[in-house]
Amino acid sequence: MQLIDKLSILADAAKYDASCASSGAPKRSSEGKGGLGSTNGMGICHSYTPDGRCVSLLKILLTNFCLFDCQYCVNRRSSDVPRARFTPEEVVRLTVDFYRRNCISGLFLSSGIIRSADYTMEQLIRVARLLREEHQFRGYIHLKTIPEADPALIEEAGRYADRLSVNIELPTDASLQTLAPEKDVKSIKKAMSTIYTGQQTVLNEPRAPRFTPAGQSTQMIVGADQTDDSTILHSAESLYGNYGLKRVYYSAFSPIPNSPKSVPLAAPPLMREHRLYQADFLLRSYGYKADELLSGPGDLALDIDPKLAWALENRSVFPLDLNRAEPALIARIPGIGLRTTKRLVELRRQRRIRYEDLTRLRCVLAKAKPFFITSDYHPQQAEISTLLLRDQLRDRPQPQQLGLWG
Amino acid sequence: MICLDCDDLFATWRQQARWLLSHQIDPSHVGWNTVADLFATDEHYPEEIGPFQARIPVALIELLQSAAQYRGEQRWSLLYEVLWRVCHGDRTAMLAGDRLGSELHRRIKQVRRESHHLHAFLRFVEMPVATEGPPGPEYVAWHEPAHDILALASEHFIGRMGRSRWLIATPQDGVYYDGTQLIHERRCPLEWQQLAQQAHDPQGELWLTYYSHIFNPARLNPKVMQGHLPTRFWKNLPEGALIPGLISDARTGKQRDGQARDIGKRQGKRIGRSV
Repeated sequence: MQLIDKLSILADAAKYDASCASSGAPKRSSEGKGGLGSTNGMGICHSYTPDGRCVSLLKILLTNFCLFDCQYCVNRRSSDVPRARFTPEEVVRLTVDFYRRNCISGLFLSSGIIRSADYTMEQLIRVARLLREEHQFRGYIHLKTIPEADPALIEEAGRYADRLSVNIELPTDASLQTLAPEKDVKSIKKAMSTIYTGQQTVLNEPRAPRFTPAGQSTQMIVGADQTDDSTILHSAESLYGNYGLKRVYYSAFSPIPNSPKSVPLAAPPLMREHRLYQADFLLRSYGYKADELLSGPGDLALDIDPKLAWALENRSVFPLDLNRAEPALIARIPGIGLRTTKRLVELRRQRRIRYEDLTRLRCVLAKAKPFFITSDYHPQQAEISTLLLRDQLRDRPQPQQLGLWG
Repeated sequence: MICLDCDDLFATWRQQARWLLSHQIDPSHVGWNTVADLFATDEHYPEEIGPFQARIPVALIELLQSAAQYRGEQRWSLLYEVLWRVCHGDRTAMLAGDRLGSELHRRIKQVRRESHHLHAFLRFVEMPVATEGPPGPEYVAWHEPAHDILALASEHFIGRMGRSRWLIATPQDGVYYDGTQLIHERRCPLEWQQLAQQAHDPQGELWLTYYSHIFNPARLNPKVMQGHLPTRFWKNLPEGALIPGLISDARTGKQRDGQARDIGKRQGKRIGRSV
């Protein structure tokens, strides 16, 4: 098979993994050196596909032959898809070629399980080693980790890769047992903790060789089973806490060709995925707790974002006086982000904040208006009922023409 | 009205601004690059620096230098107005919450975004190895930035490309890295422009194949794509020409699942228990 045919099959097989981040790597440069590649912590999106997703890395599978039969996966054993396998040298050639063209900032390599977990993991490591040692490649490398692989192999992978990820796949153990019977949540979590331990070991040792400096991440598939958002967010929260994950990716289940009956045929729940990312961002960067966003079972609202939902649930906190309030609370006003908060705090050191300042700071005023006070403004909407306010602020879907066949 | 020309050079503008400040000349009495101003007067000032000594915070110089790369109306006079206000004790002019400061920060943001666009959307094409004559660039690229970011932002590629020799040509300026130093030409030599625009790329197919197969038609969302990848860049991206076809293909049936059409047409292979 020609390289170009393999590329088409193995890129098509890799598209269901959501992550394509190239950020968080340490500073590396090839200035005046042999080899190529640099990283500076900032990710670069070199292109965007018409699904709105960023293309930052060459994201491919080493092979889509697989021994497992995970129901949600297009590459499962029983799936009728064309199969191919790259040699490690071919992956290296593609990575270097695309990198030279400035089409990518690195490689994200994953694989179906062939022969054994250890064998598969060794193949992935071989690619990373060739890139780093023979080609002196200093760009970004993300390796998917096979959970059942020997911890010594995972540790070896962590010395070459900027990021390792083990996919948790589904938010509950029960779903994993039903849809991916060959996978085992215990080995997934054991692999995560091997990576976490590796990171902790080098943490206070500046001379130790680097170990996954861009951290570890995982992916959860949303909408392939019946799990609600509350379970998903609480599960993400404990992953962040227990294994120091950098990111949890949520991948709306995309229908696959010749789909088995155990998974849905419907279009991917993109809005739900979007709300989960928003909620996840509130967990990571704003200091919200999963319990604050969804205390009981249930899903995030689709017509309002989770920050607005929290503000509507907690009317007693608002309206906040922007000239006095704690920065952490200002950041909880819907429509006002961390950046605007910082700028407001800078500005109020110089003078009192007025309503007009907010129009210039380009925050989402329509959303923020009912929730703050300035020296010349008090919101009328502070008095109206939550139900009415919610109705004023919710996203209205574009009118859609009814389908001819209902 | 004093009419000045700084040839769109920050260093020149800085000299002029220092002179203006030293004579306490109000921003409303100065204009840059304005041709035959109606209100031009014959006021005369001595050429040497005047008596007023301004204290300028270092942070302000950095902001001004960054905003100076912005191409647009009032490019230089806005900078002088900010400088004037800060020097006269009004530091809010530097902050995004201020009327003037918000415009300053908007420009800085545009400049930063455009630098990032250079790092992201520039595409190098490999040149055939020359058998005789002095060695030329190994990689060339054509790029059309909306602001004057090339000179500073192109340094990024020094770290990325190692010892390779590369050239970036734009309609305005150009840079060449000869393996040891970066040479910036304010007027891009015609020869560079031709080299970059006429580069032949026999190996280009691989990237196009990757691009069209990593796209998931079931998640079609052209609006988000255009927000991140403005259409003005499409014509210089090899994958740009594929975009309309991929969108319409997804709309006409391919949206049911994530697979690319040509993959679905190939012979599939189920796997037995023993591989």
